[in-house]
Amino acid sequence: MTGLFNKILIVNLSSGKQQTLELEDKIYEDYLGGRGLGVKLFTDKVSPKTDPLSKENILVFTVGPITGTSVSTSGRMSLVTKSPLTGTIFYSNTGGMFGFSLKRCGIDGLIVEGKSDMPCYLVVDGEKGISIKSGNALWNLDTEETYEEIKKIEGDRSHSLMIGPAGENLVRIASIMNDGGRAFGRGGVGAVMGSKNLKAIVVKNGKQKTPVHNEELLKTYAKSAQDKIKALPITRAALPLFGTAGILHVTNSLGMLPIRNFKKGFHKEADKTGGEAIRKEIFSKSEACYGCSIRCGRYTKAGGMKGKGPEYESVWALGANCEIFNLLKITQANYYCNSLGLDTISMGVTISCAMELQEKGLFPYPQMQFGNEDILIETVKNTAYRKGVGEELAEGSKLLAEKYGDPETAIQVKGLEIPAYDPRGAFGHALGYATSNRGGCHLSGYLAAMELFSAPKRVPRFTQQGKPDLLVLKQNQSAVEDSLVCCKFVGYALGFDFQSRFVTAITGYDFNISRLLEIGERIYNLERLFNIKAGFTNKEDNLPDRFKNVPFKEGLSKDRIVPLDDMMKSYYNVRGWNEQGIPEQKKLLELGIIELNN
Amino acid sequence: MIDKETFNSFDLVGKDLSNRGYNSSYSGNISMKSGGKIIITRRSAMLGWLQPEDLVIIDLEEEDAHSGLVASTESNVHRNIYKETDAMAIVHAHTPACTALSMVEDEITCIDAEGMLIYKKIPVVECDVPVGSYELAEKVASTLKNYPAMIVRAHGVFAKGITLEDALGVLTGVEQSADILYRIKLMGQPLKRDYSKEKGFSNW
Repeated sequence: MTGLFNKILIVNLSSGKQQTLELEDKIYEDYLGGRGLGVKLFTDKVSPKTDPLSKENILVFTVGPITGTSVSTSGRMSLVTKSPLTGTIFYSNTGGMFGFSLKRCGIDGLIVEGKSDMPCYLVVDGEKGISIKSGNALWNLDTEETYEEIKKIEGDRSHSLMIGPAGENLVRIASIMNDGGRAFGRGGVGAVMGSKNLKAIVVKNGKQKTPVHNEELLKTYAKSAQDKIKALPITRAALPLFGTAGILHVTNSLGMLPIRNFKKGFHKEADKTGGEAIRKEIFSKSEACYGCSIRCGRYTKAGGMKGKGPEYESVWALGANCEIFNLLKITQANYYCNSLGLDTISMGVTISCAMELQEKGLFPYPQMQFGNEDILIETVKNTAYRKGVGEELAEGSKLLAEKYGDPETAIQVKGLEIPAYDPRGAFGHALGYATSNRGGCHLSGYLAAMELFSAPKRVPRFTQQGKPDLLVLKQNQSAVEDSLVCCKFVGYALGFDFQSRFVTAITGYDFNISRLLEIGERIYNLERLFNIKAGFTNKEDNLPDRFKNVPFKEGLSKDRIVPLDDMMKSYYNVRGWNEQGIPEQKKLLELGIIELNN
Repeated sequence: MIDKETFNSFDLVGKDLSNRGYNSSYSGNISMKSGGKIIITRRSAMLGWLQPEDLVIIDLEEEDAHSGLVASTESNVHRNIYKETDAMAIVHAHTPACTALSMVEDEITCIDAEGMLIYKKIPVVECDVPVGSYELAEKVASTLKNYPAMIVRAHGVFAKGITLEDALGVLTGVEQSADILYRIKLMGQPLKRDYSKEKGFSNW
């Protein structure tokens, strides 16, 4: 299919064997690329019962038809694996330059299998092919040091994905960092790399252009998309000026910024840590991923240190959620998460879980108190190295709270810590957390964009009727966007028809909206099927008790609880699943999904 | 079961259409998707004076008793749109400018700033039986796969949206653009600058 190279590289770290997989057009027509292609390749190869940290688990890195084209945010790529944090299939995507550079090597993806005996790293060279190199000199380095060292060895124009000490130590909330500043952040995917003794993946020397069926038409669509991105205040001004952390001011004012491990929804000091304060106090310069005009990324300086971020979720998780409002300390903790290779959301929510356990007298670490900013950085470091209290936190909040006898203290779904939109403040978004195939994720449906920012359209926050239908639509759309692969922020400005136009112009195939939505539905159902085979049931499509039974007492989201049971029944019906949340055979046949055999 | 907030949305949208003079007393129809079903206005409901019993629930997949007996004449059009597009809500009205221009144009190219940014083009389709027919249902749904609104020649506009209010916004938006174009045509003056020709809308 035009827009891709119909070629996947497979490397087995146990045997050193390499293979090139040539795929038929039908696979791309059914799954596009990115997440969809990754999910298809992954479920074909990996049994749902596989231990995520065993050599039988694999990492599937993919790009999509949009990657490397003139479409805005075309630098993104996807990863699919099984998560050691959730036990679910796990998809993740990242921006920066790596995805674009990988596609320039003339491939649509890279599958990493097996386990190396010794620390190693992979080099995908557009001229020389793939090679496995010793990673002994890189092991134990943090991600910044690794990034610099790789640049020295492989050249300044190389780009790399890497893990830090957290991934090496199999911390279940470890991330994979992308050129040191961006990340495949969630789900402990860094630990999967660590379990394979794989320190980094480097890409360089790619020179192939993404083939486009109708370049002139694509330029027309891309230009029109740019016009809309420039017209909408969110993409024109808010994100470039204040980064994602500008969102904090909105959620706080709506009474749905989680405070004290989701006990409150507003704090008068929280704005001290938002995008406006970041701009004023620590901002250094903005940064864009390949092909993006929004430029939401930012370099900052804080207390003698410098780095990237913090993003909204990070500044909240390590800050307001722990009732900490010292922007410098939060930013430094964020830098450490990046350099040690930790997911900032899961790190912050696991810390706040520990703080609540301690407050209840259940956790034997008296220093873990809400508002105690002095423990923040040490706790991050100890978690990455599994030392002291960090050994406890390294397993994530679910296992931590279960171990100390109060599972409800862990604010998670399917083991993945819930991010910075309190479910009581946006009912559609709440249902999205409960039904996401990767657990408590805000991006799988992201109804908050409409419920909070009217982007691209306004939807009331507290209505129920029609919300399950809308969520299913958005989850399917999101699966498509992750497969093309493009950034969620483009969706603030553009309708889904743009994705249809882009991919049709690139491939020459008629990917109209309904066809794309069917692809999204296919991806979502295949993921769901994998999770069911892995042992998940409708009991895990749930939210922590406080969201269903304990309303806030003040703020603009007070007196609200999530009507989850009502919405869930309707959601299953809309999905074509039975009352247990299992896809009906008729639905699977419609989508051309064959029962998983492995 | 239709909750109060949902009825209020139907009522608000119906009154707005009526106040703008987009329908005769008993014409036009509106619907939304909910729980895998469609909530749609009753046949000959007065959109400006909706009562709770004017909303009926019909099947999303196939004809059922309610859709044949009491639901809007265009219920098959709405159903087809939901089955084939990303619509979550639909508003249909006989807006004057769009309907008038559809008699003389094969498509309407927006020339005002908002219309160019949001809609660009409003397609026009023609049917032998332009009300309630299967032909209409098929052509409207097919066109709305890639456009937020379209016009059935000599009949009126179908607009889709995420919510009823959103679909209303689309419908009023395209009517506004069509009305500006209609007035320009009445003036009979050449445009000082036709932005639409610079933006490649012929490709849209």
